[in-house]
Amino acid sequence: MSELTISLPPFSPFAQNHPAADNFLQNILLDGLWYWNLLAPTEGWVNAKYWQTLGYGSHELPTAPEAWRAPLHPDDLAEAQQAAEACLRAPDQPFNQLLRATHRNGATVWLHCRGIVLRNEAGTAAWLLGALFDVSHEKQAQAQAEELAEHYRQILSNQSVYIVKTDTEGNYTFANEYFYERYGYAEDIINTSSLLSIVEEDRAKCIEVVLQCFAQPEVRHQVILRKLASDNTVKSNHWELKGLLDEDGRLVEILCVGYDVTLLVENLQKQQHLLDVTSQQNMRLQNFAYIISHNIRSHSANLTSLVQLLAEAKSKAQKSMFLQMLTTSTEQLADTIVNLNDIVTIHSNVNKPKTVRALRTEIDKTLEVLSVLIRQHRIAVEVDVPPTLEVTVVPAYLDSILLNLISNAVKYRSPNRPAFIRLRARSEPGSVVLTVQDNGRGIDLVKNQAKLFGMYKTFHDNEDARGVGLFITKNQVEAMLGTISVESQVEVGTTFTIHFNENA
Amino acid sequence: MKTPKLAYVVEDDRITAAITELIAKKNLRCRTVKTFDNGQLAFDQLTATLQAGGDVPDLILLDLNMPLMDGWEFLDALGSLPLTRPVCVFVLTSSIHPDDMAKATHYDQVKGYFSKPLDKPNVARMQGLLQEVGGYQYQAH
Repeated sequence: MSELTISLPPFSPFAQNHPAADNFLQNILLDGLWYWNLLAPTEGWVNAKYWQTLGYGSHELPTAPEAWRAPLHPDDLAEAQQAAEACLRAPDQPFNQLLRATHRNGATVWLHCRGIVLRNEAGTAAWLLGALFDVSHEKQAQAQAEELAEHYRQILSNQSVYIVKTDTEGNYTFANEYFYERYGYAEDIINTSSLLSIVEEDRAKCIEVVLQCFAQPEVRHQVILRKLASDNTVKSNHWELKGLLDEDGRLVEILCVGYDVTLLVENLQKQQHLLDVTSQQNMRLQNFAYIISHNIRSHSANLTSLVQLLAEAKSKAQKSMFLQMLTTSTEQLADTIVNLNDIVTIHSNVNKPKTVRALRTEIDKTLEVLSVLIRQHRIAVEVDVPPTLEVTVVPAYLDSILLNLISNAVKYRSPNRPAFIRLRARSEPGSVVLTVQDNGRGIDLVKNQAKLFGMYKTFHDNEDARGVGLFITKNQVEAMLGTISVESQVEVGTTFTIHFNENA
Repeated sequence: MKTPKLAYVVEDDRITAAITELIAKKNLRCRTVKTFDNGQLAFDQLTATLQAGGDVPDLILLDLNMPLMDGWEFLDALGSLPLTRPVCVFVLTSSIHPDDMAKATHYDQVKGYFSKPLDKPNVARMQGLLQEVGGYQYQAH
């Protein structure tokens, strides 16, 4: 080894005269020094620091002439040779290689070698002088960073999370793979408006949240938006928007992280619908309970009082009067119970099977039933209902509804003018609309709107009126998930409009 | 002994009207009782009486649920009349709907709210209220 050392040209200008400077260069600045004969590649020399870097103590430095080669990875060495030969051909080219070496404990040490190629004047010898730097820490950190990045990439790509960035105008600047995949978008969406793919009704909501981001960029702002995918399906997403600031604190981008809530939203809507139906039913039931209690109570109160009066009655005449009243009262109670039973039946048959009926045929049947009255009062009847128009109904309810509305129109005709009844029907998306119009006495809706469809409400001094007809009609229409409304003017006429639900 | 001179019974059920009339006469000691089938008839009578300078009732026993003009509408109409002295109104109904009971408290003229039947405790309460409001006297039974 000493022989070899002597034959080498001095590679440090300080080696002779400035040992401290030489020490600084060889042992402090560098993690190893390498001298390599490019014309005889097995020939080379390394300094003591090289061995120390690879875990050898100063007393156990390998001494064999070719020992320096052993720790270096043969592939890396071969590559280094190629790089050095390239440097030989083009002397200006810097030598800059990474070599793996095996530490004494078996670990890999990454050595970064920066070098120059030296040649003698005759061109017969060519040496690489390489300065070695241990970059294992950097390599390790890099590997760790890559591992971490891969870890997060895996997590993100396996999560159903959308990550989108937009500029301050709302144009896409970034979107993750999942977003592209789920929406069927291609990368040409970058720099196009993100707002336009949101369904129109939700755009105002989106803009509002973006404005919140401008006002408070550091806070996450949440919003649910519906967005159109390329296959024209609409998906609901829950988004968290946050402003991204530049070094001067100016908002430059908006980060949007979202996930799909389509199913959730659909279920929520279903639940809300069920809740609406249930609360409506509940309200109707409660109202109905009050009606029952009111009607039964009014008779039972009479009975109680009459029994009391009968017991206290002094004369025979009085007794027989109270007895007569008692009889009437029990009869009324029986009637009331029959009426209530009609209504209970409607409520308990909410799920009665519906069938398809030709509306025109049913109207004609009802008019036939009422034909005697209609002729007797010379009422002009106009029916403008297409014979093909069908409604999906509980047949008994349709009969009852038609009979009640048409017979009401007959009953409350005006004596002051020739009476008419007009029946019209048309099909609308999701429903069939029937109107029953008359030019009869009319009802003052300003006073009576709230009571019109109530029970035991009568509006004309008519002895026949039971005050249950419209109440039952409304209940039957609603039991079939339809609606009924009324327009009326005193001494002009009344029009009832029924929407039969054709969706359910 | 001071007793009500004139009472109106406004009630569409004939039997209830007859029973109420009996109680008004016998237990509340009203000397004259007039019955009306609905609010409109009672209101028309009252308006005519006022115009003619006749006797305004001391007491009105008012049902709520009636055709043409119901109890509430009657109370609204009553409030618009130029009465020289307040009339004592008892609401007399078979409704136990809490909304009705709450609504009745908004009318100054309504001095009492009674759920039918007019049994002994109800009659006793009426007597007590009449004593308080009008100074009428009733002997304890």
